[in-house]
Amino acid sequence: MNPFRRFETIVAFRFMREGLTQTLLIVFGVALGCGVIIFMSALLAGLQDNVVRRTLSFQAPIVILAPDQVARPLRDGSRESVTAQIQPRSQQLRSVDQWQKVQATVAGIPGVIGVTPVVTGPGFAGRGEARKSVSITGIDSSSYFDVIALPEKIVAGRHEPGPLDIIIGTELAKDLGTAVGDKMTLTSATGVASVLTVTGIFDFGNKGVNERNVYVTLRTAQNLLDLVGGATSIEVRVLDPFAAETIAQSIRADADLEVDSWIRTNAQFFSAMAAQILANTLIRFFVGLTVALGIASVLVVSVVQKSKEIGILRAMGTARAQVLRVFLVEGAFMGLVGALAGALLAWGFLLLWRGVATNADGTPMFIVVIQPSLFVIACAGATLVGILAAVIPARRAAQLDPAVAIRG
Amino acid sequence: MVDARAAAATLRLERVRKSYGAGTPLEVEVLHGIDLTLQRGEFAALIGPSGSGKSTLLNVIGLLDPPSGGKLYLEGQDTGALDEGEATRLRGRSIGFIFQYHHLLPAFTALENVMMPMLAARGALDDAMSEAAAALLQRVGLTPWRNQKASEISGGQQQRVAIARALAMQPALVLADEPSGNLDTENADAVFDLMRDVNQASGTTFLIVTHDPRLAHRCDRIVELVDGRIVSDAPNREVVRRG
Repeated sequence: MNPFRRFETIVAFRFMREGLTQTLLIVFGVALGCGVIIFMSALLAGLQDNVVRRTLSFQAPIVILAPDQVARPLRDGSRESVTAQIQPRSQQLRSVDQWQKVQATVAGIPGVIGVTPVVTGPGFAGRGEARKSVSITGIDSSSYFDVIALPEKIVAGRHEPGPLDIIIGTELAKDLGTAVGDKMTLTSATGVASVLTVTGIFDFGNKGVNERNVYVTLRTAQNLLDLVGGATSIEVRVLDPFAAETIAQSIRADADLEVDSWIRTNAQFFSAMAAQILANTLIRFFVGLTVALGIASVLVVSVVQKSKEIGILRAMGTARAQVLRVFLVEGAFMGLVGALAGALLAWGFLLLWRGVATNADGTPMFIVVIQPSLFVIACAGATLVGILAAVIPARRAAQLDPAVAIRG
Repeated sequence: MVDARAAAATLRLERVRKSYGAGTPLEVEVLHGIDLTLQRGEFAALIGPSGSGKSTLLNVIGLLDPPSGGKLYLEGQDTGALDEGEATRLRGRSIGFIFQYHHLLPAFTALENVMMPMLAARGALDDAMSEAAAALLQRVGLTPWRNQKASEISGGQQQRVAIARALAMQPALVLADEPSGNLDTENADAVFDLMRDVNQASGTTFLIVTHDPRLAHRCDRIVELVDGRIVSDAPNREVVRRG
């Protein structure tokens, strides 16, 4: 049945048209409120997405490591510790036990979309007199790029290192005065050295990473770090970065391994993000409440203004439920139309923001994600708020005594 | 024992009382045991001084206000047994109202005002409703004004729209509360004639509250209410003779 031919819709729309200024004002109010909510949510989502993307561009969401070596306390026959103080053991560079098996097992976990072995250790990069301490990262080109988007970050040369190649960051290249094609020496902390050719320069947009990280093949790193056949860590990429900790826990539960998720290693960032989400939720709540009170107050006034008409309608056989629905339709309509107008407003502002908030090079400061679902949720939410706000005035209208209402 | 004629009556009131502030020290009884029967097709006037309880009686008969005591039968149905929803449905189906100040819905056109009782009863608009409302407006001579807003036509025309609206559901009983009280003599006569025509053509029962003795004396029967009691109830001829 056509809803626009229903009694409630016809009466509600006519009532709203009769008080057009009042209706337009509240629709404008709802539009502003809804626009603010959508704009803020999109901005925050964009900001979060941007930070997450930047963080995960050089860091795997999950890193599996060999368990820490622990000092064994000396015990006597009674199994009581005889040492007064146990000094923690210094950690050596060790391979994950049976890393190939671990890699295969983890690859089968739902939600995991990339697994790669990595050999990491300290070293020095030198050219001529210049020497810089670096973190040597040995990668398996066939799987590493499924986890870390290194190819996207290459600003010069190529992304796949050969056995005698090295890929360095822009900052290190600047410090050492090297360019693609230059030779440099890479020395491990144990003193093993190798002369390598710079075949690529990357820029992760992070000074520390650009200064510290160097990429060589897995085999080269194994030789330099004296870890032949080993892998110091397994790096894992997951479909939903926010599910990383859950997946890490499941890996941790199944094997005696040290498993770190980026959520644990970036705890401060997540606590800041949680505070931001809470602040945004509070703002949304209070804006929603203001919108609801606005709709409710307009409808309360409308019920008073229309009490005679309601009395007449009741006298001619209109049921209480029908009167109730008239005002619920009004509330829903004001919420929905206000939300649609607010969505348009927010969309316009977001496009404007994209154009205004730019970096020095003209690229967007951060990508604002305009998700259709956000608009749908906001519109549905505003309609619901409209209906809920209308409940009290609608009940009041339905309870009006027709004889009293007609007398005025 | 109720005789067959009384049982078939459009309206029957038995010792109907109405009090306000019941159960409080301020309780006031406005109607004191009203007995009244209106047969199908009757055209009766309800007269009485201001404050005699005429409007209260009309509200009780119109199921807008429940009686505090007694029995009220509408088309043989005991209305005391009905809940609020059933009473509303019965009111919409069986009773038409004509008010002194017409009480049309100003936001709607003349045609829409006449359609409104049908729309409320059926829940949604259909073409038959529009045709029926147009026919009623034609009957009251307002076809040229059918699409005018209720607020844009004259007082006499508004009252004729109100009559058409009261007849929309083909009710058994029309209650008119001083329908010509706000009109000049010419329009008052025209409205009265229209109600009379409807009564004679369709057999609809009319109970008309009026302060105008001239119009009251044009009714078939005159019921006089004083201080919440019926003090006289007689066919028009007797009233005229007594006067």
